[in-house]
This record gives sequence, C-alpha cells and structure tokens, in this order.
Amino acid sequence: MPPLLSLRDIYKTYVMGDQVVRALDGLSVDIHEGEFVAIMGPSGSGKSTLMHIIGCLDAPTEGSYLIDGVEVADMDDFELAKIRNQKIGFVFQGFNLLARTTALENVELPMLYGHRKDRRARAIRALERVGLGNRLDHRPNELSGGQQQRVAIARAIASEPRLILADEPTGNLASLQSEEIMQIFQELNDEGGTVVMVTHETDIGQHCKRMVHIKDGQVLDDEAVSDRLIAVNVLEEMRQERLRDEQRKAAALAAAGR
Amino acid sequence: MNLIESFRVSIRGLANNKMRSALTMLGIIIGVGVVILVVAIGEGATRRVTETVNSLGTNLLTVFAGSSRVRASAATTTSSTSTSSSTSTSTSGGGMTNRMTMDDSNQIAAQFKKTIDAVAPSVNSNVTIRSGNANSTTRVTGTTVDYPYVKSIEVDRGRFFNEAEQEGSRKVCVAGTTIAEKLMGDAHIDLTGQTIAVNGQNFQVVGMQAPKGATSWGQDQDDILIVPITTAMRRILNRRNIDMISVRCTTQDTMPLAQEQMSNFLRVRHHTPPPYPDNDDFKIFSQTDLLQTQQSVTGTMTSLLSAVAVISLVVGGIGIMNIMLVSVTERTREIGIRKAIGATPRDILLQFLIESSILSLIGGLIGIGLGVSGAYLLATVGGWSAIVNMTAVVAAVAVSVGVGLFFGIYPASKAAQLHPIVALRFE
Repeated sequence: MPPLLSLRDIYKTYVMGDQVVRALDGLSVDIHEGEFVAIMGPSGSGKSTLMHIIGCLDAPTEGSYLIDGVEVADMDDFELAKIRNQKIGFVFQGFNLLARTTALENVELPMLYGHRKDRRARAIRALERVGLGNRLDHRPNELSGGQQQRVAIARAIASEPRLILADEPTGNLASLQSEEIMQIFQELNDEGGTVVMVTHETDIGQHCKRMVHIKDGQVLDDEAVSDRLIAVNVLEEMRQERLRDEQRKAAALAAAGR
Repeated sequence: MNLIESFRVSIRGLANNKMRSALTMLGIIIGVGVVILVVAIGEGATRRVTETVNSLGTNLLTVFAGSSRVRASAATTTSSTSTSSSTSTSTSGGGMTNRMTMDDSNQIAAQFKKTIDAVAPSVNSNVTIRSGNANSTTRVTGTTVDYPYVKSIEVDRGRFFNEAEQEGSRKVCVAGTTIAEKLMGDAHIDLTGQTIAVNGQNFQVVGMQAPKGATSWGQDQDDILIVPITTAMRRILNRRNIDMISVRCTTQDTMPLAQEQMSNFLRVRHHTPPPYPDNDDFKIFSQTDLLQTQQSVTGTMTSLLSAVAVISLVVGGIGIMNIMLVSVTERTREIGIRKAIGATPRDILLQFLIESSILSLIGGLIGIGLGVSGAYLLATVGGWSAIVNMTAVVAAVAVSVGVGLFFGIYPASKAAQLHPIVALRFE
C-alpha cells in the first residue's frame, strides 16, 4: 500500500537579511495510514517548518510531497486551502478557536468552508465524541483549557479527514488535562485514524507508536516507541495517586487530631 | 462557502463590534442624508419657481417704464429731477423719463395683432385702506378689463370690473384675500358688496381674486386691490403715465419678434436717440428669462450643496476603509485560523467586502430615512417646499454600496493575501 504522506528530499530555505537559513535540508519521511507519529526535536530543528509543510500551510522550496498520491508541493493558495479543508484536521497548541463564537459554530466552521450539507449533525457528533455534548453553546472563554482543546479536536475530526495534525497539542495544558487529550488521540488512532503530532516532550511522544527525531532540518533517527504509555492506564494511576495522597493527608490529620 | 453563508459570517463580524460598526456608518449616514435633503430642497425650489412663473403665464412679456441708467443719472442731476418729479411719481422707478402712456399701450395692441394677443397697461402704488375701524396699507393696481386674461388671474367670488366701469372711472375694486385678512381678520371672508375707503375715497368691492400665494421672490400676490386704470390715474394717483404694460403674445415662438417690434415702436414714438438699449426709457422682461435666471440660481445652489454632500460621502467611505483596515489587523489571528482550516483567499475577501458593503448599505438606508424625514419636516414645519426625488434615493443607495465596495477592496484584499502562518503567529 502506498504511504498516506510521502515527503522526498524536502528543502525549505528562508532568507533572513543576508543569511540563508536552511530550515529543512533534504528531509525525507513516509507516513502510512493508521500510524501515530511523534515528530520530536529541539527548537530550531525545523520541526515547525516540517509541520507547516505537512499541513499544507506552506510550500517547500524544493522536493516532492504527496498526500494520498497527489503532489501538493507546487499547488497555489486556493488548492492548498482545499487540501487543508478536506484532508487535514488541525489541532494547535494555542487552541485557536474563534472568540465570541460557540463551540458548535467553531466545530462547524471548516465544514462551512467545505460546503458540507450535514455539518450541524456532524459537529454535534464530534463534540459528543470528545465528551462535550453538554457544552455546545459555550463560548471559548467559558471553557477550561482542556475543554477548549477538546473543541479544537472536535473541529479537526468533524469532517473525518485523512490526517489529524497536532502542533504541541498539550503545550498549554496541565498534566491531567494533557493525559485526557492524549487519551482522545489514542482512541482516534485505535479507531484507524492517522495522527501526526509535533512535540518536544518525551513523555507525550511516548504515547505515540513511532518517534521521528529531527535535527538541523534532517531526520536524526526514526524508531518505533518501545515502552508505549497508554493514557487510560496513566490516568488510572494518577487517580490512584491522588486517592493515596488524600488518604495520607486524612491519616496525617487524624494523627494530628489524636 | 456560498454567498448566504458569507453574509451570515460578515453580519456576525459586525455584530461583535456594534459600537464601532455604528460609528463607521455615521459618515455614510450623514453623507446620504445630506444628499437626499439637498436634492429635495433644490427640486422643491425649482418646482415652485416653475409653478409661479407658469401661473403668471408663459407667453407673458412685461414692458417696464424707465431704465436703470436713467435713474442713476437722475440721482446725480438734482436740478432736473426736482422739476419733473412733481409730474411723475412712479412706483417702479420711472424717474424723469417715464414717458409711457395709455396711448402707447393702445397703439401696441392695435398695431401688432399678429404677434400680440392682448395687453394690459397698469399703474401701481401703495395706498392706505380703511373699513370700519380697521386701517391698513396695501398695493393698488390700476388696469384694464383685459388684465385677468393677460395675467391669468381668476375671480372666484363676484366679478371683475367691466368696460363701462372702466370708461366711467368708477370707484370699484377687486380685492385679494389678504385684504380681507387685514381688514376683517380672516382671509376667507367674502368682501363682495362691501365698501373700502382707499386713500379716503369709498370704493365698492365687486369681486374677490382667487388666492395666488406668494411669488418665488416672496411677494404676496393676494395683498392687492385691482381698480380700473382710469380711476387709479385720475382719482387716486393723479398721473398721466403708466408704469408697465403686460403683454400676452399669441404663442411662445412670437415672443422674440413681439419684443423686437415693441422696442422699435417705443424708440420711434419716444424719439429715443441711439445707442440702444442704453438710451431706452423702457425695459422688456419675459417670464422665461425670469424662469431661467431663477432656475440657474437654484441649480447652482443644488449642485454646490450636492458637491459638499458627495465630499462627505467620500469622507465617509474613507472612514469605512480606515475602520476595515483596523479590523483586518485586529482580526489577523482569526483570519489565520480561518485560512488554516480551509478558507480560500476568495472566502476571506468576500467576508470583508460584504462587511464593508453592509456597513455602507445600512448607513445609506438610515441616511435615506433621515434625509426623507428631514425633507418632510422642512416641508411641514418650516414651510419650505422639498420634494424627495426617487432617482436621488436610488442613486444614494447605489453610491453608498459602491463606496463600501470601493473602499472595502483594499482592506479585504490585504486580509485575503495574509499568509496563514504569519497570521496564526500574529499576537
């Protein structure tokens, strides 16, 4: 089976003043359907640039990029917008929801640009899928960070894209909320969804099935995750931990009271 | 995204910033409102002038005795004025050279039958009137029986004086409605059959002139007593000269010829030496001259004020552009999000274009509302004549939407061309 994404000898160069910055320097990577890939690397490694190119937000300076066998490297703005709308679901670090717009309307938005007829029903289903079926009419400022990110995930999955692309999705969240978000991603992957995630946190990367390390615009190493973390188990552990904490505190209080 | 959805998105965008949207509209509201109002006033004034002049008769030529040049010289040569001023006291300023007589008028009527339908010579003066204890002043016009026909006036109660009364210099008069108001306190009272003392002599009212209203230059045409010209000249004014001759031409086309004929006739008859018309002791006006003058005055005013209004529309448009530019900058992140999830440049362009068009369209509609009600207010309360022109209304809407589109293009294309990554990183 051909890969879902195929990047071959991708170069991306920026001119900054009189200096030429090679953000991507002949990078090649294939991602197959159903994979759960973490793209990892320090800042300045080129992982954000790679993310933008995979997400069709930017075009490479040189090289070939196939999505579903379609060459996107030399598409214009209009065609790229179409690809972003139909094949890719984005989840950003900063959530990037429209303010003063309800959760439901935010989730509907991509399908509005994509002329989907059944967008209301799909949006409701997606929000229920991420556990926000009772928050349809809430605006972003009425939701917690974790809830906002779940709305963003609902927005990404509502039109059932081929690829879910997440850029540091847990970067702005506390560990419990991060774990809940990772649980949703793992469930989506278990159901057959392809998830590509950019992160610099190793424990978040450990939730994925494959880790691609980037350095200086090239793939440093590419390996399967050996001791994978399962979010459901981690959450259970966290719950146990908290329970133990509370019991210990109660015991300490009881001891002090005696 | 289709157009209806684009509209919905745009309206959301505007509703999220109600105060700013309202202030942005203000420029367009004022611009359109002023355009409507100014055009309505101009139209009303033009209509009124036309109506007034038409009511006087469009085939009408008026021959005034005297000329401005002679009057000017009369003021400097005091010695000669003092001798002649006792013999002629004309109200229309004939000065020493008012030599126009009843005979001139009769000759004109007799000689130029092909071009001239009828003539009505007249003298005018201010007089005091009294009835019972009520005293007042008014304007008396002495004229002939042809006057109602020549000047298109109507007598709606009683009758005009007749040939016999004119020949006999009888003390009869036709009164305007303002006379009734001045003497009886009510313009609707019929004075027919009553007696009015004019400069101390008793006159019998034989008819009432139908109300004509004021002229476009503000003279009350109902504040008048019409008496036989012989009576006016012999019994009231003691004069032999007439002030003017109203001439009704056969058709509008013969008016220039009639004017030419009368000029030559009067010059020969009065032995006026050249050059003409500098030495003329008369002046001929036509109603069309008057109409054209008045219309060009109101036309100039209207175009001047319209220019001001159009400038304010343009300023309003620049206001829209300004606010839309601010809005694009402020919403850069929103634009980035929309682009990231699949909005095409065209979608973004449409959204902002529709926003600016809606702003100016709603502004335009409010402006029309204000302009129309302003015109109505001026017409009913202020007594101005203001006619709302549908063409102006339609044009104002079209212009305001055009302004919105035109001034919206730059901000909208700026938004459409934003790079999604740059827009998303914008804080």
